[in-house]
Amino acid sequence: MSVAKRHKREVRSAYILVAPFVLVFAVFFLYPAIKVLILSFTNSPLIGDGDWVGFANYAKLLNDRLFYTSLWNNFYFVFLTVVPTTAIALLIALAVNTLKGRLQALVLTLFFLPYILPVSVVTLIWDWMFDFQFGVLQPLVALITGKPVPVFKNPYWVMPMIAVVTIWWTNGFNVLLLIAGLRNIPEDLYEAASLDGATIWQRFWRITWPLLWPVTALVLTLQLILQLKIFDQVFLLSEGGPFNRSYVILMQMYREGFQLNHGGYASAIAMVLFLIIVVVSILQYQLLRIGGRK
Amino acid sequence: MTWNLKVLAASAAMAVGVASPGWAQVEVEWWDFLGGGDGVRMKALIEQFNNEHPDIQINATTLDWGQTFYTKVRTAVSVGEGPDVMTYHLSRLPLALEEGVLSPVTDEDMAAAGLSSSDFFDPAIAAASDQSGQLMAIPFDIHAIITYYNRSALEGTKWLDADGNLTNLNSVEDMTALLTWAKENGFSDPLSYQSEGGGGTWRIFYTLLRQQGGEMITDGEVLAGDNFDKAVRAIQIMADWRAAGLTPEQASYPASVALFVGGKSVLHINGVWEVPTFSDQSDAGTLGFEWFANEVPQLLDQPATWADSHSFAIPNDPDMSAETRAAVMTVIGWMEQHSLAWAGAGHIPAYRPTVESADYAQMQPNATYASLVASAAFDPRSKVAGVASPIYDAVNNMIAPAVSGFMGAEDAAAAMKDQLQALLN
Repeated sequence: MSVAKRHKREVRSAYILVAPFVLVFAVFFLYPAIKVLILSFTNSPLIGDGDWVGFANYAKLLNDRLFYTSLWNNFYFVFLTVVPTTAIALLIALAVNTLKGRLQALVLTLFFLPYILPVSVVTLIWDWMFDFQFGVLQPLVALITGKPVPVFKNPYWVMPMIAVVTIWWTNGFNVLLLIAGLRNIPEDLYEAASLDGATIWQRFWRITWPLLWPVTALVLTLQLILQLKIFDQVFLLSEGGPFNRSYVILMQMYREGFQLNHGGYASAIAMVLFLIIVVVSILQYQLLRIGGRK
Repeated sequence: MTWNLKVLAASAAMAVGVASPGWAQVEVEWWDFLGGGDGVRMKALIEQFNNEHPDIQINATTLDWGQTFYTKVRTAVSVGEGPDVMTYHLSRLPLALEEGVLSPVTDEDMAAAGLSSSDFFDPAIAAASDQSGQLMAIPFDIHAIITYYNRSALEGTKWLDADGNLTNLNSVEDMTALLTWAKENGFSDPLSYQSEGGGGTWRIFYTLLRQQGGEMITDGEVLAGDNFDKAVRAIQIMADWRAAGLTPEQASYPASVALFVGGKSVLHINGVWEVPTFSDQSDAGTLGFEWFANEVPQLLDQPATWADSHSFAIPNDPDMSAETRAAVMTVIGWMEQHSLAWAGAGHIPAYRPTVESADYAQMQPNATYASLVASAAFDPRSKVAGVASPIYDAVNNMIAPAVSGFMGAEDAAAAMKDQLQALLN
């Protein structure tokens, strides 16, 4: 068989192998995404076609006070979750890593358990636990603040508490990633360092931290993207209130699209959030890579 | 061989036909949002219907009440995957008209169901029709908020008359006096209602607004003129009660019911649909006190009580067969004629023959509070009003925080006016 023929064959099988994915990706992601982009330039309702309005939706969005409130709340939520959840996950991963055998598996399972719960169950559990009249956690809140607090209805507590719920819910996955990262660090590095008289503290900062950094950076980036897309917990716990203190961008998109029948405007909001996520996550990943190289 | 197979196939088909009596059965896909005590009654009605009608089978699905239900209806109907019949709030009709999700109810439909518009209370028919008077849904009930009270606790006080009904409640001050008395007598949250926002807060606010003769929306303007001051006053009354500890702070819906059942509240203002909850507990002997319900007392200038209607609606589906439609109308007609069972769920049937029957007069407290129909205040007819509408969001977002003391009543009313007006313009 000639080289050219063999090459042709390889190309053909490559196409066949990637075709299923490309097809699924195109039908279920690419086509809807392009459709959203087109919709965002129209005044269409939620279902059905509309007229081309150019950049009118985007111009309206830039003058929408609620949009800036939502944007601010989104970044506040990112601030409250991304670094804390990564730090907590790292601490848990380091602790779990010192355990051995079955006990380690058990503890890991316990930390991972909340992650497999659907969001509706998670929010119901926390809503009940924090119920103002009958919640089991209210005595604890009263112990700290002196009186019970309706946490999801209080303008100051609402975002931090949604952040707590989110961290509790999603942290297991981060722990898993970080443990995988920790296991990849060769044991002999620690042995050599110990022989050289390095303290635990030195071993962490000189070996664990730099070698784990790629995984940490990945966790940070994944978290950033995930938390910018916050919707479910807000919708189920506070519906954006009180007085828009927990209103987020996807909440605004949902209300515009599904409640007010403004499909075009909702698409514009989605596109802007998409752009924000792309820009911020690329920026963050690059910054983290530079940070990691030092 | 071929012949043998044919015989076999034919006899098999016959055997199957004999085994299932519903050979030519019409299936009616039914969606509702009735998850409470009334949902139990509706399931019983559906079961009874299915047993009595071998030719029609209702496949009922109960979905989550509110925005989720209506979002699902709209998206499902637009792709032709909606139900054949569904329950629908008449307060939501203006939005339904705008969305175009409902199929008009024709005179032939009504005839097929054995019904006529004159069988129903006029306000319900008006609420079920579009601007041109075309019937878009068939009303099933009128439901409103009522005042549930702990009769045992009020026994012997001036607030109970000889028949055991509430009396001497003619002003906000009177109500405050009763609640203060209750607070001093061991009721930690004398008047419970869903104070965290949502329907419970809206219904009381709207009742207080309408008792002052106030209107939410007039000629496309939100809280125009002195309606604004009336709204501020309504919020202030609720905020004052909360500040004095007379109503619970941030009570969720189930918590508000639990406060009354648990003997922490002497009064409970909530929808008629909780009647079965209390009567079932009373029958089971687990309530621990005697309860009753009256219409919400007139505390301000005129009588008014927030009300809404459940109706049956047929989603817009051009592919619906005449056979299915006829079956749906049979279902609706049967439901209306059996609406006495629905009255057991607390609701006041919109079908007059039921309410005028001797059996209904025997039902208590239903027959007592049915008088509220005369002053029923339906939600404003607007696309921003009705169940799961932007008004509900504004209530969560502005009125509830104001009632809880996080912002002033005037600021809340102004913010609500702005937010809703922006949606109307």
